[in-house]
Amino acid sequence: MLRFIQFVCTRAAMAVVTLLLVSFIVFTLMELVPANCAERYLAFKNTQGEQISIENIRAEEQRLGLDKPYIQRWASWVGNVFFRGDFGDSCILRVNINQLLGEKIWISLGICFVALLVAYLIALPVGIISATVSSPSLNNGLRLVSYLGLALPNFLLALMIMLFSTMVFGDTLTGMFSKEFRDAPWSWERVLDFLSHAWLPIFILGWSATAFALQTVRALMSDEYGKLYVTAARARGVHGRALLWRYPARHALGPIINSLGFDLNRVFNELPIVAVILTLSEAGALLLEGLARSNDQQLAGAIIFMLTASIVSLNFLTDVLLSIIDPRVRKSVMGG
Amino acid sequence: MGKSFLFAGVALCAFVGSALADCPKITVADMKGVKAGAFPQQYELAEFEGAAGCKLSFAGNPKADELNGKIQGNGALPPLAERLPEEPLVVVPYSEIGKYGGVLDGLSNAPEAGTSDLLSVRHVSLVRYSDDLATIVPNVAKSWEWNADFTKLTLKLRKGHKWSDGAPFTSEDVKFWYDDMVFDENIIKKPKDYVLVGGKRMTVEAPDAQTVVFNLPAPKPGLLAHFATHYSQPFMPKHFLGQFHPKYNPDADKKAKELGYENGYAVISAYYGNSDWTDTPTIMLSDPAKAPKMPKGVYPTLESHIVVAETTEGRHLVANPYFHMVDTAGNQLPYINEIDEVHINENEVRILKAVNGEIDYKSQSMQLPSAPILLENQEKGGYTVDLKPTIAMPTFAFNVTSPDEEKRKVFGDLKFRQAMSVAMNRDEINEVAFFGLGKPKQYVAFSPTPKFVDPKWESHYAQYDPDLAKKLLDEVGVVDKDGDGARDLPNGAPLVLNLQFATQGMPGQVAELVAQHWTNVGIKSTVKEVTPDEYRSAQSSNQLDVIMWQKGQPLAIVLGNSELFQPPFENYFGGRAGMLWAEYVDSKGTKGVKPPAYVDEMLADIDAFQSTLVGSPESDKIGQRLVKNMTENLLFLGTVQAPNPIYHRNAVKNFPEFKTWSYEYYRTYPYRPQQWFLADEG
Repeated sequence: MLRFIQFVCTRAAMAVVTLLLVSFIVFTLMELVPANCAERYLAFKNTQGEQISIENIRAEEQRLGLDKPYIQRWASWVGNVFFRGDFGDSCILRVNINQLLGEKIWISLGICFVALLVAYLIALPVGIISATVSSPSLNNGLRLVSYLGLALPNFLLALMIMLFSTMVFGDTLTGMFSKEFRDAPWSWERVLDFLSHAWLPIFILGWSATAFALQTVRALMSDEYGKLYVTAARARGVHGRALLWRYPARHALGPIINSLGFDLNRVFNELPIVAVILTLSEAGALLLEGLARSNDQQLAGAIIFMLTASIVSLNFLTDVLLSIIDPRVRKSVMGG
Repeated sequence: MGKSFLFAGVALCAFVGSALADCPKITVADMKGVKAGAFPQQYELAEFEGAAGCKLSFAGNPKADELNGKIQGNGALPPLAERLPEEPLVVVPYSEIGKYGGVLDGLSNAPEAGTSDLLSVRHVSLVRYSDDLATIVPNVAKSWEWNADFTKLTLKLRKGHKWSDGAPFTSEDVKFWYDDMVFDENIIKKPKDYVLVGGKRMTVEAPDAQTVVFNLPAPKPGLLAHFATHYSQPFMPKHFLGQFHPKYNPDADKKAKELGYENGYAVISAYYGNSDWTDTPTIMLSDPAKAPKMPKGVYPTLESHIVVAETTEGRHLVANPYFHMVDTAGNQLPYINEIDEVHINENEVRILKAVNGEIDYKSQSMQLPSAPILLENQEKGGYTVDLKPTIAMPTFAFNVTSPDEEKRKVFGDLKFRQAMSVAMNRDEINEVAFFGLGKPKQYVAFSPTPKFVDPKWESHYAQYDPDLAKKLLDEVGVVDKDGDGARDLPNGAPLVLNLQFATQGMPGQVAELVAQHWTNVGIKSTVKEVTPDEYRSAQSSNQLDVIMWQKGQPLAIVLGNSELFQPPFENYFGGRAGMLWAEYVDSKGTKGVKPPAYVDEMLADIDAFQSTLVGSPESDKIGQRLVKNMTENLLFLGTVQAPNPIYHRNAVKNFPEFKTWSYEYYRTYPYRPQQWFLADEG
């Protein structure tokens, strides 16, 4: 048990270091891009017709505190995040980030998790079955679907579905909520309305995630299935489903659970593009906004911080989970 | 699309008309023999009743009470007679008397990007440009008068005009905006140029409730044109914002603390965004927790619609029940009950929504490359697309103060610039990049070209003549010295033009074609796309060989803004040439490079031009000289003036064809969107 506590503490310390490092990298990279947020903001204003001078830009920088050295800015931002849980203000949207992201980050993580869940619910049984059943037509069909899922870029898929829906139903399928629920407080109707919009990004993200997971499960199962201990078990008279679930499937699960955090990251990386295409107002789209359009360090930093935090905690959970279901890992962590 | 909102209003309107049989319901299309007033397409009340020989009686939106209920902090609605000014502005609708109701659906890019389209739909100012884009007509102000030397502007306001919360609007509100908002450094650190005349402050007097006097430190006839085209509204609700202004309320800070703000100025900042730009985030967006407890969601307005909800995803507005315009049947405007604005930051999605007929009007951010798909689906989507000329056109300029002395000498040689201008095949650019819909022309700074400009300048060295280009280049001494097929600098160093462009300021196809044309006459040119930020930073640090950005301003803007004729010939976000000349001018000759004589002449002329009444012989003469100096010297090479799409759904009625696709006259403002209405189109 002591070993376990030690393990948890080390992981927590590593998580904090990871978060610090990631936010520092985000800040640094954004610092290297020409034009800071003040200039971008005024550039927007200029396209609106406002006449802007260099003095205006300097004044704006001062107002946003961009005239301070960036190490200092990063340090005070990180300090506020860790000690006060306050992510500061978004410079481009002029809104407190906690308020802005409060709902959105959960919507984004929710979409990602549901897409992953759907992916695994399909990929695990189908992958295991396809590895053990030798039916060429089934295998070829699966291969086609998963190659399509891997090869079709998500943004193209989204555009194609939108185009199809526009041509056939006259509805672009965009947005996160219907107009009447856009600014409404959460209610049961709003949840239903949200789900009626959220299925599309979940489907798009889920397809490629499913294809990915399917191939992984299938490969692992095929590897395990031919191993000697399976043959030995079969010789002892274990066969059919009992044989399958007792050994190879359990072995194949380890790497899958291990890669949950990695998968979440991959799905979240694909989310912004899909979100922008479908004009979903969630954190992924905001991240792209903050990084590409406005160089909004606080906003981009906050979103990546939260994402990293969820990946780190997910990894921690999967490690614990793994140590429970896999005796080999349990021995090394718990001792004895 | 708001069709469902039209039921009750339509029925009510049908018999609203019957009570008003005494005045002819004239429209621009059918004036029924009634003479036009002093200004096109509108009358003062007495003027209309005189011209038509009748007495106008008024009617309001049957849903006014319901809409008013959505405006935070507005009390119960008094009867219409108490809401309209005693002297409402009578607006002649374009084609028919409208019906009340509906929601105008619009798009913007983000909370503060791409919003001017819909801002202009509800915008009001003291005056505006009529749809001929030449006549300034009354709006919030009833009339105006200049003194002889254009140093004193006296405006009359409308008696009984009220803010959107029912409080009286008076000359004090104009004075408050100028003295206590714009020039209070706790609110605006550094006043913008547009509130100054020649860098000096004006004074504003309010001798009585309906009279405002602007005293100018120097003549500036263009001040009125500024009010007619600029987004800023020269009045602020003193009765409301004054409560939080320490100058007017000693308890301002106490009041602010009760609302959870640090001090009074913080409340003003939350409401006003410390800028005249009227789309800074409202408290509803910036602080949703505080918003419901505030006395109002937004500060009162004189605009036709007022914001009642805002998130990062969009805004929602309702009609202002105290709006100061009526139609010729006496119906209070606006006809359209609500505006819904959705933020979509992806062009393809915006176009898709337009093709689907999910929006009612859009021009900003709609570019020519999207025109084919929009035009193709017009009938199916039930909308119309007009292609109208833009103001600015893609323009090329050589860095005449290049840090490389040899390049500076060559770029500074007029013959070289002439050669490069005739080397361009503008007809080909028009065909390839603009579907043949544009108009090839030389840059003359003013756009559209005013009457006083000799038409010859528009074609000055704008013909395609590669042989002449080669001959001129030979004369300059830019010839192929090392036999590699590309021309070199006179000192033998290779000459390669690196064309860095950002799509925001220059269509990629145009940059590529021009590079090809120049290469064809022996000037090796390479093209590279960069981000607007990279472009700006290279331009600021004087690293560009060729400046490439869109350029051109209407006469109305030049009257109040001299930048096109002063080095570097545009502001930070535009295309700037002659950076070191600018340094010389700014530093009074201690730094930088001395500009040639014609630049000095332009500097003197633009000041004189702005102090002379536009349209007078003297003003025309100065204007001609400005264009001659600008175009003869080919500091900037024009390409093709292209049109852009203006989209509206056919259900939006009283929608005229716009003259231009432009921001410069504040988009829809000249075309009176208050008299648009939504017809139910099944």
